[in-house]
Amino acid sequence: MPTIPHALRLSGAEAYNHTADKRFLMIGERANVAGSPQFAKLVRAGDLEAAVEVARQQVANGANVIDICFDDGLIDGKSMMSRFLRLLQGEPDVAKVPIMVDSSKWEILEEGLKYLQGKGIVNSISLKEGEENFRKQAGHIMRYGAAVVVMAFDENGQAASYEEKIRICQRAYRILADEVGFNPDDIIFDPNILTVATGIEEHNNYALDFINATRWIKANLPGAKVSGGVSNISFSFRGNNKVREAMHSAFLYHAGLAGMDMGIVNAGMLEVYDEIPKELLQCVEDVLLNRRPDATERLLELAERFKGHDGKKIEEDLSWRNDPVEKRLEHALLKGIDKFIDEDTEAALAIYGRPLKVIEGPLMDGMGVVGDLFGAGKMFLPQVVKSARVMKKAVAWLTPFMEAEKAEFLASDIEEIKAADPSVSDEEALRLAGRRRSAGRFLIATVKGDVHDIGKNIVGVVLACNGFEVTDMGVMVPCDKILDKAIELGADVVGLSGLITPSLDEMVHVAKEMERRGFKVPLLVGGATTSAAHTAIKIAEHYSGAVVHVLDASRSVPVTTSLLSKDQRDAFGAKNRAKQQTLRENFIGGPKKETLTIEQARAAAPQFDWENYTPPVPSFLGTRNVGQDARAAFSLRELVDYIDWTPFFHAWELRGVWDREHKVLKTKNIEGAAEAAKLYQDALGWVDRIISENRLQARGIYGFFPANAEGDDIIVWTDESRSAERCRFHSLRQQIKKDTGKPNVALADWVAPVAEVFNKPGRSKTAAADYIGGFVVGIHGADELAAELDAAHDPFGAIMVKALADRFAEAFAELLHHRARIEWGYETEEELTTGQLIHENYRGIRPAPGYPAQPDHTEKPILFDLLGASALTGVTLTESCAMHPGAAVCGLYFSHLDSHYFAISELQKDQLEDYARRKGMTLNEAEKWLGPWLGYVS
Amino acid sequence: MPQPDLTAELTAALARRILVLDGAMGTTIRAYGLTEADARGTRFAQTEKDLLNNGDILSLTRPDVIGDIHKRFYEAGSDICETNTFSATSIAQSEFFVDDPREHGGRKDPEFFQKIIDTPFLNQLAWEMNVESSRLCRKWADDIGSDTGRKRYVAGAIGPLTVSLTNSPDANDHAFRVVTFDQVLEAYKHQIRGLIEGGCDILMIETIFDSLNAKAAAVAVQEVFAEAKLRLPIIISAAVGLGGETMISAQKVEAFWNAFAHTHPLAIGLNCSLGPDLMRPHLEELSDCATTHVSCYPNAGLPNPLAPTGFDLDPQHMHDFMAEFADAGLLNLAGGCCGNTPEHVAAIARAVANRKPREVPAIG
Repeated sequence: MPTIPHALRLSGAEAYNHTADKRFLMIGERANVAGSPQFAKLVRAGDLEAAVEVARQQVANGANVIDICFDDGLIDGKSMMSRFLRLLQGEPDVAKVPIMVDSSKWEILEEGLKYLQGKGIVNSISLKEGEENFRKQAGHIMRYGAAVVVMAFDENGQAASYEEKIRICQRAYRILADEVGFNPDDIIFDPNILTVATGIEEHNNYALDFINATRWIKANLPGAKVSGGVSNISFSFRGNNKVREAMHSAFLYHAGLAGMDMGIVNAGMLEVYDEIPKELLQCVEDVLLNRRPDATERLLELAERFKGHDGKKIEEDLSWRNDPVEKRLEHALLKGIDKFIDEDTEAALAIYGRPLKVIEGPLMDGMGVVGDLFGAGKMFLPQVVKSARVMKKAVAWLTPFMEAEKAEFLASDIEEIKAADPSVSDEEALRLAGRRRSAGRFLIATVKGDVHDIGKNIVGVVLACNGFEVTDMGVMVPCDKILDKAIELGADVVGLSGLITPSLDEMVHVAKEMERRGFKVPLLVGGATTSAAHTAIKIAEHYSGAVVHVLDASRSVPVTTSLLSKDQRDAFGAKNRAKQQTLRENFIGGPKKETLTIEQARAAAPQFDWENYTPPVPSFLGTRNVGQDARAAFSLRELVDYIDWTPFFHAWELRGVWDREHKVLKTKNIEGAAEAAKLYQDALGWVDRIISENRLQARGIYGFFPANAEGDDIIVWTDESRSAERCRFHSLRQQIKKDTGKPNVALADWVAPVAEVFNKPGRSKTAAADYIGGFVVGIHGADELAAELDAAHDPFGAIMVKALADRFAEAFAELLHHRARIEWGYETEEELTTGQLIHENYRGIRPAPGYPAQPDHTEKPILFDLLGASALTGVTLTESCAMHPGAAVCGLYFSHLDSHYFAISELQKDQLEDYARRKGMTLNEAEKWLGPWLGYVS
Repeated sequence: MPQPDLTAELTAALARRILVLDGAMGTTIRAYGLTEADARGTRFAQTEKDLLNNGDILSLTRPDVIGDIHKRFYEAGSDICETNTFSATSIAQSEFFVDDPREHGGRKDPEFFQKIIDTPFLNQLAWEMNVESSRLCRKWADDIGSDTGRKRYVAGAIGPLTVSLTNSPDANDHAFRVVTFDQVLEAYKHQIRGLIEGGCDILMIETIFDSLNAKAAAVAVQEVFAEAKLRLPIIISAAVGLGGETMISAQKVEAFWNAFAHTHPLAIGLNCSLGPDLMRPHLEELSDCATTHVSCYPNAGLPNPLAPTGFDLDPQHMHDFMAEFADAGLLNLAGGCCGNTPEHVAAIARAVANRKPREVPAIG
């Protein structure tokens, strides 16, 4: 009888059989929003074409299977999974390989199965929610004919140890193979690859536990495969790719020998095992195989050498001992050196006088730097833990002084409390007084449904080091337990942690419950899938107390300190709220929110008393040209003052805010600030050169026109008789349902309506004779100059010129708007400084087509024609309505007091149909131009 | 009446010999020279659209003709005949009874098909077609079976639909689909319940152009089994083009097997679209990888408008091809698709009668 070997048999349009003789099955991990920030960015921006390209690249680079994951709090995972898989069906290059549908949400996995014509893999299910659920899900997957990844989780959480791993895998295998009838060849276990070299001793055996569990599974569970997310292993060394690559390869090598079949691996993050430098390999394997107690220390030390370009090993250098005490403390914290901490702390106490000042001052500043570096991937987890230890030592040294101080203050505090309220008992007064001196009570928990706690534990350690009383409730804690405990303890701060996507929903739930139960204390949110944007958009709006996203453990200290400090609390809260507001406004392409019909949205438009409104009248009508030709070009010198430098530094990937007054980039990243200072000097040199050699020309046009709104359109009249239409602009209205009672705005709302002009007998026409402005500016010559510089092997100069041209264009737009407001008669010449201008502290707006308030680029041709802009400024439009040259800005001017920037999103079909009709487009065309802003699948 | 699960009985028969399937329903009907009035009968006399090409409706309006075709195939030697239900779903029937929105500048989309799925008339019609066709075929299987002393079987035919789940008809939106997976699933489940109610022995998902449509049918079969607490044997058969890929979703033969092996079909096979000569390499590929029985019922060659059946090959040709296929160890079930008359099937039956069936490979 012929036989066919056992194999994991998969398919897309083509078959892929993973037989025993095959080597490692490569799963492409880049089309995974959790694994690839670039992919996540593309998906969030709605650029699915580019996202499909990422998948295609994976296949081209040899992935046998591609992993598709949209687990991100800001993406509607279910509809994105459906849409993306449908798009892949149309890409023969991608459709040929089997697909791994990856999500921690069952409903997304269920959805994904509906788009696989072949046999894919579902990643993943587990016993986390019990056997019954597990059976049901496995049965469903079997019916659809997919293989399955089973995570080693059960009702009690994630299996970390070898014993737990094999116990859970065996149990799952029995249920699948014996009860459900799953083909054993189609069962893939993921026994959890956990991070090693974290500095925490319990983690030292994690790699070995995985490898041993793999060996056991292959020997004892016939047919079963083993997989895992490999990059987890080296998470401690993020930022140090050399070490990470070596760790991945060495880990795969050993796990492969034990029988690991496949893994989610970024093929670009793999070193060839044999090419790992011997010394590094030795240290890496010591860590992975837990061969010596100091393995982590040694690898850390060695890792220094592979960091960046600086290959030189650092001798013990004591020159830092000559620095001032603040610098010495910072250095000690950064490097995790505790040798001199006592004497330095003592020295600091002598200067600062009170122990708490030392903690809040130099020590906290030092931890702030640690946090920034960790956030930037320039410090690793174990180093941060070391920093925390040094911090703890410093605090320990200060504690007796604090106790003494406390005792001293306690007596007076008790007196004070009893004086304020004589009814307070002695005990109660003591308790209250005690609270006054504690840094604060911090309650922390990993939310229900989530078992990840490494990050949370580190937050606990770091906070405890800093004098907070930390109560850690562990993992999978239900909301009511957290809140009951918070009340019982009188917690000052509640911290929630979570790693998997559903935890985000749970955090939203906790926030709602806190609001319902009348909590006021700050809520901190952290963990790998959380983000500032998600916190702002999804969580913060449900809780009236402060909701703060904490990027990482080290950041939790300054944040908590600020939140609990009487002096800093309000300012910090305001800043946090403002940041979240910006995030909400900038957010595009997010999850589906409740929306209104266009009729309802129009009914919710802002209402103005047009009867009693007198629109400002511009000093001229028609257009004015600035810099008509190259010779008469506008002087760039005048623009320099209007430049907003912050985006210039962002273009160079230097984050921070430019302080105009002191000419420094405000950032905690010292290196970044220093780099920015250098760059700024360079930029000024280039500005001088550009101006003296007359290399760039600024040309612009602006103008004013009689206008009135009609519905969501803005009619531009041929003249003041307002009888003939010259053209019309079309605006889009917000359709998101607003709980806050805020109006649903459209740009047309800020122009006096046409009905008021004609339908009210006896009213003077001029009373509502409103106007609209428009402008186009362009900076010419940058492309040519950049090309020259490129040819002269000066890429730095080329980038510089383009970055500066962009800034000049924006500055020009700002300057023209300034002039326009003066011409419009509602602002005087000297009223505002350029600093205020940059912060947009003025009346009126200049929204640009293609930007959030009116994302439709096809409004640009209307504006260009109205102004005659192409002929007069040399700025032209491409067929996709992009401006050429690239350093150009255009927009409309609105004068209404209420006018402000806003964002359009989640447009519904009813509005699109109406909009398309108003614009004389087909619905298809309108949908094409507005794709990323649609709130429905077109 | 639902039939018992005959998997064991059929497996035993397949171990002994090559079972014979039937021939073409559509092209055989054409030979009866029916008119539009025949197709409509009195029941559908007022229908707006022409029904002559709605072959499945003949089970209701001309059961005599359909019964005669079943009878002739069984008499020619078919062990298994397929019910006349290739298009007996609300989705496929909508082509004959519902105004095409595209004629008025509209389009077919999930919203349109949701209405179709929710139309009582179409559901009732699909139900009747499946139950009646299944009963009709059952009657002749039982009659000829007892007449000849050789048991005959009824396979409920589940066709490919007129819509695709993997293909976008909108050049500007590759993610657009006219219909959703859940809608297709729903329509298929309704059809399958009807086929089982009418008494078929086997469910046959066939002429698969789009493997995702077929996936929906396979899920539908399993869901109906689960809800009715029964099981019937399944046969799954794809229509592949010259390159050996399903005609719409471009899935290769082995990928197709991998995608449907989990349903533990009684047989997996190829049918339609090609004549036996062009089908052979793909059949060989399937035979090499499939760890179940292999079925094959090709067209009688390529379409030829000048030939009496509309296809190239005569019964003797089919006989010779099938004899060679059997000798090469490629066959467990054999029959014919488009262009194969009862005479062709008789020739095929003769060809495989004393030839050894393909040995089903074991996994090991």
